[in-house]
Amino acid sequence: MSWAAHDLEPYAIQKHAGLKLAFVPLLIGSYSPDMMTKWFVYGVHIGPWDLKASDPAQFHRGWPGFGFTHSFVYGIAIGLLIWKVFGSKLWGISFIVGQFAHALTDAGDTVGTMLFFPWTFHFHLDAWAYAGQTGRMTDAAAYFSGLGSMWDAVWIVYGLYSWRVLTSAYFDNYIFRADAFWPWLNRAVPRGALLTLYRAAFFYGTSRWIAWTVWAHVIHHYPYDLSWGGPHWVPAAHP
Amino acid sequence: MRLRLSVDIPNRRDLRVFGGYCVAAAVYIAIGVTWVDFLLSFWVGLAYLVVVAWAVPTFVRWLV
Repeated sequence: MSWAAHDLEPYAIQKHAGLKLAFVPLLIGSYSPDMMTKWFVYGVHIGPWDLKASDPAQFHRGWPGFGFTHSFVYGIAIGLLIWKVFGSKLWGISFIVGQFAHALTDAGDTVGTMLFFPWTFHFHLDAWAYAGQTGRMTDAAAYFSGLGSMWDAVWIVYGLYSWRVLTSAYFDNYIFRADAFWPWLNRAVPRGALLTLYRAAFFYGTSRWIAWTVWAHVIHHYPYDLSWGGPHWVPAAHP
Repeated sequence: MRLRLSVDIPNRRDLRVFGGYCVAAAVYIAIGVTWVDFLLSFWVGLAYLVVVAWAVPTFVRWLV
């Protein structure tokens, strides 16, 4: 799994899409595969109950399980549903692009994704260890010690290199103009606040990438292991 | 034929805005490292940014 790439990739895609995509559904699409499953992968405490998947990797990426959320067919199905329900082809296609980006990025770890579900073959590059089954903190420590965090860093650097995509002029000329959602929201929310909302995912992805890196390596001294499939000090899950 | 290297450089106003976001990020990171639960929710991050990068500056501008 990825921790910050899903926050950052939409800005890189947006830079090349201009008016052809709408940012909000692009971001929702990028978040969508994990929206309803991540809490159960790590587990939660509700009163006396501990709720956690018995096999987190299977639940998150497998079949039986919710692995179909990381497939192309899921993105297309939800995108078509959005197109039909909201009557917006732009929103439907933007969602699909964002969801595809998520599914492809998560194919970088050791569990991978069933891109062509209902074919249940997992496409996995094995570049970084999937460690969701170890719990949130160990997963964070492992992720920010391996190539997964370097992949996130690529998107941070690319985003900063493409800094114009974050400017108010870009927001006015592309983001606001491309999607009727923004003028609709602007009836209640001032333009300055809309610009801040637009920048929020980049801020969130970049800031927490730095914060988790500091937490893992300055506060807790977990060792970096940037070898392929690492870090190897954590037990990686496989399909 | 002379080739000129064209570099897209932010102007002073862009850098000032960026600096403000960097300060907001530094505070967010400091809170997050101290209390990691703060880092877990996108909605917390979004609310924090709206308050720090828009609501507070808007209020200050209204005051002065």
